Amino acid sequence: MTSSGNAGIDRDEEERELLRDDVPHRPPSAWNRVVGIFVLGSSVLAAALLAIAVAPEATPPLQSRAREVSVGIWEVFYDTQAPSYRSVLAAVAFALLIAAGVAVLERRIANRYRRSYDRIATPLAPRIVMEATRNEFAGPVTITVLIPAHNEEDCIGATIASLESQEPPPHRIVVVADNCTDGTVGIAREAGVEVFETVGNTHKKAGALNQALEQMLPGQGDNDLLMVMDADTVLDAGFLAEAARRMTADRALMAVGGLFYGEDGKGVLGQFQRNEYTRYARELGRRRGRVFVLTGTASIFRPRALRTVAASRGVLIPGHHGEVYDTVALTEDNELTIALKSLGGLMVSPPGCTVVTEVMPSWRALWNQRLRWQRGALENLGAYGMTPQTFRYWSQQLGIAYGSIAVSTYLILILLMLLALDVWIWFPFWVGIGLVFTMERVLTVWKGGWRARILGATLFPEMGYALFLNVVFIKGVLDITLRRQASWKHVTTVGGRVVVVEED
Amino acid sequence: MGLIDPLVIAQGLLLPSSVVQSGWFAALAAFVAINTLMYTGLAIAKMLPKVYITDYDPRRRRRAETRSIHPDGPVD
Repeated sequence: MTSSGNAGIDRDEEERELLRDDVPHRPPSAWNRVVGIFVLGSSVLAAALLAIAVAPEATPPLQSRAREVSVGIWEVFYDTQAPSYRSVLAAVAFALLIAAGVAVLERRIANRYRRSYDRIATPLAPRIVMEATRNEFAGPVTITVLIPAHNEEDCIGATIASLESQEPPPHRIVVVADNCTDGTVGIAREAGVEVFETVGNTHKKAGALNQALEQMLPGQGDNDLLMVMDADTVLDAGFLAEAARRMTADRALMAVGGLFYGEDGKGVLGQFQRNEYTRYARELGRRRGRVFVLTGTASIFRPRALRTVAASRGVLIPGHHGEVYDTVALTEDNELTIALKSLGGLMVSPPGCTVVTEVMPSWRALWNQRLRWQRGALENLGAYGMTPQTFRYWSQQLGIAYGSIAVSTYLILILLMLLALDVWIWFPFWVGIGLVFTMERVLTVWKGGWRARILGATLFPEMGYALFLNVVFIKGVLDITLRRQASWKHVTTVGGRVVVVEED
Repeated sequence: MGLIDPLVIAQGLLLPSSVVQSGWFAALAAFVAINTLMYTGLAIAKMLPKVYITDYDPRRRRRAETRSIHPDGPVD
């Protein structure tokens, strides 16, 4: 899960723009296509193998005899057919084994890098950082907030005010004004904060931040933290205090990410997204804050982390040497997270660091946002390849791909039954299973309030939402696999401007 | 065949009812059933509280030196 760029009233427009082919993003590599083929191919293969395995045992679901009962004035048909205990146990055990296997492997990999002593491959590993900072006090923790802003006059004032109301407030606020043509710079100056204006930046948010960081990083001490925060974001109370406490207590901690919740409003679509974010936050809590993505909405970094990333680009990790953000990554926050992870950096998303993020107002906007996230995530995986640190991300992609197959075959089955039978037959066993799913949907959004619980209890609307996200996923995978091949684009830089060259 | 027969033999809305009696439909149903059961297992696991075995092993939490930015900070 990632956040998106300089959000504002024209967010939808921006999302669309970012998906156009002539906007620079990661140049297609052979790996990129392999990513798509691998993710989709292996999931289809797994599904096919399972189908072949279960087919000989299969009996038509209506082979058994349905019975009829009268409930008041209605005649109700039901069928008591249910899978054998053995197959139920085998299926549940198999799923839990895979989930546990992924979790155990992820932990083992994390522990291995946590204990790594390889200065060249993992310069940010805790033991190496601790050794470098042992018995040295680099001063108390200070926080400098960078707010990349592109025409954000509507919200920049409120963002600055919300930052200043944090207890304690940040030590320094810098608005990174990127090609602003509105009143953003004036409002920021009036509010008494610093303004850094970019010069000739064509790489949007990532390029703007790179320019600002290039100037600022050399002057930052080990404990002079840098926070990157979207201009339309409001931090919850206690965010900065909790981050400072964590960074004070653990000098090996390289980054603290915000845990985001959806803003109010935007009807049922807004509630779908809020439920999704509530579940994500719950999942992170259960992982004890072990980060999936350091959200671009609000994340805090130790300067050592950003300096090391910049120095490692083009050597250990993809990107231009000397730049903190990879300007060709479609989702730069996801990319930076993988970069830090690859270098062995320790990161956390603690429950005390929460932030409210905007929800997409329309299905089209949501489609564009998610397609960008999806494409960005796949492209980043393609750029990094399959490494121990990207294992979790690969398995997530495979999980989503298999889930898409599972949900669509379920819907096809239901549809076929509806179209081929003229009477509805209840299967008590499967109704019971449905109740388990309903419970899960409700319990996992419990913290989201009664609206969230009601939507969860209805089960099928959320399934529809999940299906929508699955379609976005498939589109993203197909785009990266097929379209790249059909229209091979080469991104190059001429005189500081990005040029896209078509190749046959 | 019992009570279901007249219902099943009757035409469905759009498709012949023989569809649901066919072998491939049975395979599809079995595939969906196994998947549904697998996801049920995961749903139950998600509902239950997560237990960390390391929480019950105090030796694992003891640090060798302070992690604080203050060299004389607490060790744990």
